[in-house]
Amino acid sequence: MPVRPGALRLEAIRKSYGGAPEVLAGVDLGVAPREIVVVAGANGTGKSTLLRIAAGCSRPTSGRVRGRAPVVGYLPDRFPSQLRMPASAYLKHLAALHREDATAAAVSAAELLEALGFVGSTRTPMSGLSKGNAQKVGLAQALCCSAGLLVLDEPWSGLDAPAAQVLLGRLAAAADDGASVLITDHTGIATALAGARHLRLQDGELRPAPPQPAGQAPLVVVELWCPLDPAAAAAALAPFVRASPAGDRLIVHVPVGRSDALLRAALDLGCSVLSVAPAPDWSR
Amino acid sequence: MRAFAVARFLAADAVRSQRFLIPLFLHGAILAVLFGGDPGPPPAPWAASALALYPIAAWLALTVANTEDPVQRTVTVAAAGGQVPVAAGTLLVALAGDLLLAVLSVAWPVVATGYPHPPAVLVEGLLGHLACATTGTAVGLLCARPVIGKIGWSLLAAVFVVVVTGVQPWLPPVGTSVAALEAGAGYPPLALGAVLGLALAGVAAGISAAVARRS
Repeated sequence: MPVRPGALRLEAIRKSYGGAPEVLAGVDLGVAPREIVVVAGANGTGKSTLLRIAAGCSRPTSGRVRGRAPVVGYLPDRFPSQLRMPASAYLKHLAALHREDATAAAVSAAELLEALGFVGSTRTPMSGLSKGNAQKVGLAQALCCSAGLLVLDEPWSGLDAPAAQVLLGRLAAAADDGASVLITDHTGIATALAGARHLRLQDGELRPAPPQPAGQAPLVVVELWCPLDPAAAAAALAPFVRASPAGDRLIVHVPVGRSDALLRAALDLGCSVLSVAPAPDWSR
Repeated sequence: MRAFAVARFLAADAVRSQRFLIPLFLHGAILAVLFGGDPGPPPAPWAASALALYPIAAWLALTVANTEDPVQRTVTVAAAGGQVPVAAGTLLVALAGDLLLAVLSVAWPVVATGYPHPPAVLVEGLLGHLACATTGTAVGLLCARPVIGKIGWSLLAAVFVVVVTGVQPWLPPVGTSVAALEAGAGYPPLALGAVLGLALAGVAAGISAAVARRS
């Protein structure tokens, strides 16, 4: 189904729970079709509350939400499940809720789960899935419904490096198809999204934020075997950080958003790839 | 209608998880006891089965409403386009369960006893059971998430409400319907009870949606 876009506008959004101080104190935010907005902020600053309001799960105490696309793909901060139905049945029901054609949704969800490296059976009950696999099912239900608005809360949480790369590509593709994309991220991986607008939520208000430097993004460790002098290869790969020769091999640490470009450059140099793995200190 | 898609989703998980089996078997056991031996001519014996259906229906509605984890529920709400279709879907599944249990309760003595059951009496029995079951649904929805978050408090509140309201013969719709079945008072008070019960269940679903929006 074609994406039916909407120009999401949050106007003067305030939210408080009971007598507690306001979580959101007048947030204005527009997310146009084809736009990707990344919201950063410390824990407990109200990012998840903002996203729940944008997705339509919660109402602001005051303020208005306009222009929400008819189909919303939403992924919460964590995706636990106590459902007894297997992932395949869950995705089928969610496709129906999203008013997406069941066959098309099943095919695209199966294809995305495979690309994300979902292991195990889609016939295992949802409640029995590991954190990483549950996250992949959560992404599949949100990304495989031709949503005009994608609202993803920490989508890279629990994903390994190859899956993180796949997700970057999917988000760019969704925006290209006309979707408005609103995400939170504190892994730094979102810095690799070309053309994304980066905002920071602080003291209940949104402010423009520079993207985090790429050096803070999680690293992928690439091990290369280079027939030419490894030191010369290291110099040639200098745009990528921390290339260190180890005998006739070369160990390169590269931010996750640039690992594909590095591999291309290395192959062009005539190097062979021995291994690609997330850095040992990969963490949230 | 996205409410039907929500209902199919919740019903599918209720069936797969077999959570519906305990209330169903329990009600079956109650019916077996009530209509074993000689219960007497209808509709009087249905007074007891209709009253029993009140807490059973509350249990069933509570189970259906608590199918999903609160966080996962937000995904369903975003997909369904709001709290209203989700609350309506929950209500539909609970009402379908009510109808099933009411039909079972009415049909049991027809098969198990030798008394004649003319159609007018069957209608009375069905209306009486539906009055109690739909009121039970209303109680169950009001005692479930998101109105009451902790299952312990949910059970305590549901038991308290059912016990207090179930034993007042003057109190519509449960008390009056049970009394009408016992006295053989005809179908007008029973129809009124069923309509009132259905309205209460609808109001409870609305309250549930309104509470969820504020979360």
